[in-house]
Amino acid sequence: MGDVILTMKGIDKSFPGVHALDHVDLEVRKGEVHALMGENGAGKSTLMKVLTGIYSKDAGTITFEGREVEFTNPREAQDAGIVIVHQELNMLGHLTVAQNIFIGREFMKGRLIDDKKMNEEARKLFDQLGIDIDPTETMSRLTVGKQQMCEIAKAISHEAKVIIFDEPSAALTEAEIDELFKIIRDLRDRQLGIVYISHRMDEIKVITDRVTVMRDGGYVGTLITKDCTKEDIINMMVGRVIYEDPKTESQVAEDAPVVLKVEHLNAGRMVQDVSFELRKGEILGFSGLMGAGRTETMRALFGADPKQSGDIYVNGEKVDIKTPQDAVKHGIGYLSEDRKRFGIVVDKTVAENSTMASLENYMKGIFIDKKKENEAAQKYVDLLKTKTPGVDQLVVNLSGGNQQKVVIAKWLVRNCDILIFDEPTRGIDVGAKSEIYHLMNELVAEGKSIIMVSSEMTEILRMSDRIIIMCEGRKTGELGIEEATQERIMHAATLRN
Amino acid sequence: MDKIRNNAIVKKIGFNSLVLLVIMILLYILFAILVPIVNAKANTTFVSWSRIVSALNYAYFLGFLSLGVTFVIATGGIDFSIGPVMFCAALISGYQLTMKGWPLVVCLLLSVLVGAMFGVFNGLLVSFGGLPSFITSMASMMIAKGVGSVWTKTQSVSWPQSAAENGAYRNLVRINVGGVDIPTGLIILLVGAIICSIILNKTKIGRYILCIGSNREAVRLSGVNTKKWETLAYIICGLMAGIAAIFYVGAYTTVQPGLGDTFNNDAIAGCVMGGTSMAGGVASIGGTLIGVLIISLLQEGILAMGKNINYQYIITGLIVLVVVYTDLRSRRRRS
Amino acid sequence: MTDKKNGNAFTNNPIVRAIGVQKIVVVLVLIIMLVFFGVAAPSFRSYASLLSIMDYTYYLAFLGIGVTFCLITGGVDLSIGTGMFCYALIGGYLITKQGMPVIVGILVTLLCGVIMGLINGLIVSKGGHAPFLATLCTMMIARGLGAIFTGGVSITWPLSSSPEGWTRSIFKFSLASGTKIPLGFLWVMIAAVVMSIFLNKTRPGRYIIAIGSNKEATRLSGINVAKYQTLAYVISGFFTGLAALAYSSAFQSMAPGGGAGTELNAIGGAIIGGTSMSGGSGSIAGTILGVFIMSVLQTGLPKVNLQANMQQIIIGVVLIIAVYIDVLKNKKLS
Repeated sequence: MGDVILTMKGIDKSFPGVHALDHVDLEVRKGEVHALMGENGAGKSTLMKVLTGIYSKDAGTITFEGREVEFTNPREAQDAGIVIVHQELNMLGHLTVAQNIFIGREFMKGRLIDDKKMNEEARKLFDQLGIDIDPTETMSRLTVGKQQMCEIAKAISHEAKVIIFDEPSAALTEAEIDELFKIIRDLRDRQLGIVYISHRMDEIKVITDRVTVMRDGGYVGTLITKDCTKEDIINMMVGRVIYEDPKTESQVAEDAPVVLKVEHLNAGRMVQDVSFELRKGEILGFSGLMGAGRTETMRALFGADPKQSGDIYVNGEKVDIKTPQDAVKHGIGYLSEDRKRFGIVVDKTVAENSTMASLENYMKGIFIDKKKENEAAQKYVDLLKTKTPGVDQLVVNLSGGNQQKVVIAKWLVRNCDILIFDEPTRGIDVGAKSEIYHLMNELVAEGKSIIMVSSEMTEILRMSDRIIIMCEGRKTGELGIEEATQERIMHAATLRN
Repeated sequence: MDKIRNNAIVKKIGFNSLVLLVIMILLYILFAILVPIVNAKANTTFVSWSRIVSALNYAYFLGFLSLGVTFVIATGGIDFSIGPVMFCAALISGYQLTMKGWPLVVCLLLSVLVGAMFGVFNGLLVSFGGLPSFITSMASMMIAKGVGSVWTKTQSVSWPQSAAENGAYRNLVRINVGGVDIPTGLIILLVGAIICSIILNKTKIGRYILCIGSNREAVRLSGVNTKKWETLAYIICGLMAGIAAIFYVGAYTTVQPGLGDTFNNDAIAGCVMGGTSMAGGVASIGGTLIGVLIISLLQEGILAMGKNINYQYIITGLIVLVVVYTDLRSRRRRS
Repeated sequence: MTDKKNGNAFTNNPIVRAIGVQKIVVVLVLIIMLVFFGVAAPSFRSYASLLSIMDYTYYLAFLGIGVTFCLITGGVDLSIGTGMFCYALIGGYLITKQGMPVIVGILVTLLCGVIMGLINGLIVSKGGHAPFLATLCTMMIARGLGAIFTGGVSITWPLSSSPEGWTRSIFKFSLASGTKIPLGFLWVMIAAVVMSIFLNKTRPGRYIIAIGSNKEATRLSGINVAKYQTLAYVISGFFTGLAALAYSSAFQSMAPGGGAGTELNAIGGAIIGGTSMSGGSGSIAGTILGVFIMSVLQTGLPKVNLQANMQQIIIGVVLIIAVYIDVLKNKKLS
C-alpha cells in the first residue's frame, strides 16, 4: 500500500426527511483495494455519488492527490481521474467496443474518425489488462462480463487514478470473476486506488486489503481485511440495537393450512429453482441483499414476467398463472416495490385506484356504480386510516404512506387472500410505517396471508413469522423467527452457491 | 380568478372548456370584424345564417372524427388514419348504394362497419403486435386510400341529393320542416358527444382507457387485460370515422378517392385544444367538441376572408404545436 | 459461454456480418421482384422501365438518405413528403413566374429544406416534442406554405427543350442519338457514399448513432445531444431539398398541396433496408436498397395491370411488415 490518494472526511448529506450520510470518512491509498460494505441503504452509493459530483455534499471535505476538490458532475471527476464502473452499464449497444471506449474523444485522421487507430489503441488496452475482446465487436453482442471489462478498459484509458467498482461481480460468472480479480490485482500493482463495493463476503476476503463498513448512513469503522473474520464484518454491518422489539415466536397456528405453494420456480438468471410454502395467517419474510432476486421471484409468481418453469398451488390446487389477470383471479394481490411505476395511477382518484382490480363488482349494468365505488373506497379509507380529503382526491396529492394504503386498499377491495408486499415501507415516514405494520398484523389475524419482501433487517425481524433468505436468484436459507438473528440472516444472504 | 375556478357551475363545465368557449366567441367577433375589411371586394359578411350552416357542416363530420380519436389519444396513442378511413367508408358504402343499388340503411351501416374494421386492424397491430401507433396508422392510412379507390375503380362517388331517391340520409344533417331548417346534425353530434362522454367517464371501457394512458403497467399489474381495452379504443375511433363518413356525405355528397388525410390534423387539433393530452390519460369530450367548433369556425372564417384552405393547414399545424408544447411544459413543471 | 449471444453459422459469418443479413435478404427480394415483373409483364423488360424506376429512385433515395438520419436518432421526419413539394414549388415559382436564374431557384429550394429541417430539429430537441407529432405539424405547414406561395397553381420546372431546362439533364442526360442516360443514378450513388462516410466516419455521424443507441449515456459522455439531434433533422431537410430538385427534374408538373404519402415510401424504404424505428442502427446502403424495392414496385405494379391505387395498399402492408420485423428484432435483442 502506498500513499493516501483520496480522503473523504466528515461527509454529510441530507435529503428531505432522510439523513443519508452522517459524517462519513473514507480513505483510499495508492495500490490498495478498499472494500466499502454495508447493508442496502447504508449509504454506499450515496457516498460514491457525492464523490463523483452527482450529488453535492452538505458538509465535509474531499481531498484528492493532496488537493481539496469538489466535482459538479461525473465528467469533471472523470477528467481528474476518478471513474466509476457502474453496476448498470452505460453502454451504447449499437456501437463497437472501441467506439464505446473512445466515445466523445475519437482519434481523428483529418476530418474523419480513425477507427483503425481506435481499434489498435483498444487492443493495446486489452493486452495490458490481459483480456481477450475483439475491439470491432458490436457492444450488445458481448456478455455482461465482457461489457464490464470494456468499461474497465474505458476507465483506464481515461488515465484513472481511482476506480470505483459498484458491485461488479453481481452479473458475472465464476470464470469472469476470476478474470476480473486478475485485472483488479494488476491495477493495484500499478498503484491505482480501488474502491470495491460488494456484498459478497468471500470476495472481500479474497480481493481487498481494507474494509470500511457503513451502517444506516453512518461510518462504523475501517479494518485490515486479513486481520478480521467474516463474522467481524457482519457484526459491524448489522450491529445496531433494534429498538422495536422483534417477534420472538411465530403467531401462526400449528395446524394452519398451506395457502400457497411454489415449487421449483425458474425465471431467468434471477430466479433459479425457488420453492417455498405460505401458510394461512402467516407473514413470510423474504430477506436478501440488493439483486438477490426477491422481486423477480414475486413478479414471476404473480405473472407479471414470464417464467420458464415451476408449479404454483393455491389452497392445494395447482394453478396456471401466466398473466397478472390469472394471479388476481386466484386471489393473489401484489404491492410493487416501485409504487409510482407499478402500483398507482397517480393522476386518478383514490376511488378509481381502489377499485382498479375489481371494477366488475362495481357496475350497474354497463355503468360504473359511482356511489358503490365511493362507498367501498371510503370504507377502506376509514379502515386503513388513509389521510385524504376525500375519495375523489387525486392520488398524486397524497403522501407516500397514504399512497401505499391506497394500493393496499386496491387488493383488499378485491378481497385477495394472499398479499405480496414488496418493500411495503420504502419511502414512507416512521409514523406511517408503524401504521402499515399494524395493518399487516391485523390482516393476518383476519386470516389473510402475507409475503413480505424487505431489505430492512429490522422490518424482517419485527414482522415475519418465518424468513426465507435469497442470494443471487437462489433460496439460501429458511429460518423460523425463533431462530433468526441478524447475523444468521446476513450469513445466508451472502452465501454463494 | 381562483374564485371563478372554484365556482360550482364552472367546475361542473370545466374551466378549460369555458376558456375555450370564450375564445370561440371572440373568434367569431374577430371574423365578423375582419371579413368585411379583408375581403372588401367580395362584399361579403361573416354574420349570416348561411356561414353558420357552412361552419356546422364542417363541424359535424370533424366532430365525430375528433370524438373518436380522443379515445385513442387518451390511451397515449395516435391514429392518423381517421380521415382516409372516413373517405374509404364513404366511398365503399356510396358505391354500393349508387352503383349496386343496396338499400340505404344497409349502406349506412356498412360505412360504420368499414370504419370499425380499420379500427380493429389498427388496434390489434398496436396492442398485440407492439407496433408504434403513429407508423401503424400511417400505413393503414395508405391502405384506406388504396382500398377506397380500388373499390370504386378510382371514380369519385356522389351520394344522392336530398330530393332524389335514397336522399333521406341527408335529413341526418339537416331537416326541413315547414320551410324551417333544423340542424339535426348538431343534435346528433351533441348526442354523440354525450354518449362518448358517458362511455369515457361512466363505463369500464373509459375508465380503463384513461388509466392505461396514465400508467399502463400499473393497470396491467392490477389484473386488467390492457391489450383488450387498448384495442377497443382504436375500434371506437374507427367506428366514429365510419359515422363521420355519413355526415361528410350528408353535408357535401361527393367523395373522391385518395384523399382525406388533411382532416387528421384538424381532428387532432380539435382534441388537443379541448384539453386532451397527447401524453395520454387525460381527455375531455366537451373540450373536444368546443375545439372542433373552433376549428370549423376558423376554417369558415379563412374561406370567408377569401383565403384558401392552405392557410387552415398552417394554422392548425401551429395550433397543435403550441398547445402540445404548453401541455409538455405544465407536465414538466409538475414533475 | 461464448462471445456471441445469438446467431448461427450463417449470421456469424464475417462476410455476412459485414454486409448485414437484412441487406442480403433485401437484394434477394429485389431480384425476385425484378424476375417476377419481367416474366409477368413483357413491357417491364425495357429500357424505358429502367428509366422509370430510376425516376422514382432519385427523389425517394434522397428522401430516404435524409430520413435515415432522423430514424437513427430514434426520431422520424414526416414533413419530407409535402416538404419536397413545397420547396420545389417555391424554387420553380421563382424561376418560371418571377424569371429568376435557375441557380437561384435551386439554392432557394435547398435553403428552404435546411430551414425547415432546422425548425423540426429545434422543436424536437429543445421543445421536447415527440418527433412524429412535431413533424406532422410541419408537414401540414409545408403543405399550406407551398400552395400559398405559388398562389395555388401548379408549377413545372423548365422543360429540357428550353435553355433553362438543364436541370433535367443533370438527372437524365440525352445523347445526340436520343438515348437517355440515367445520370442521376451517379449522383445518388455519390450522395450515398458521402453520407455513408459521414454517418460512420465522422464525429457528428458517430454521435447521431450514439444518441439513438442510448441518449442518456451519450449525454453523460459529454456530448451535446441537442446539437446533434438537430443536425439529423437539418440533414433530413437538406436532402428533402435535393429530392425536390430530383423530383422537379424527373416529372412534369407539381400540384400545390401534393407530396403527402411520399414520406412513407421513403421511411418504408429505410426500414426495409434495416434502419430501426427505435434508433441506434441504420445504414445508407440499406436505405438505397429499400428505396429500390419501393420504386420497382411503383414501376412494376402498373405493368402487371394492378391499378396504381393497389400500390398504396401494398406499400401500406409492406410498411407494416417491415416495422413488425423491426419490432421483433428489437424484442430479440433485449
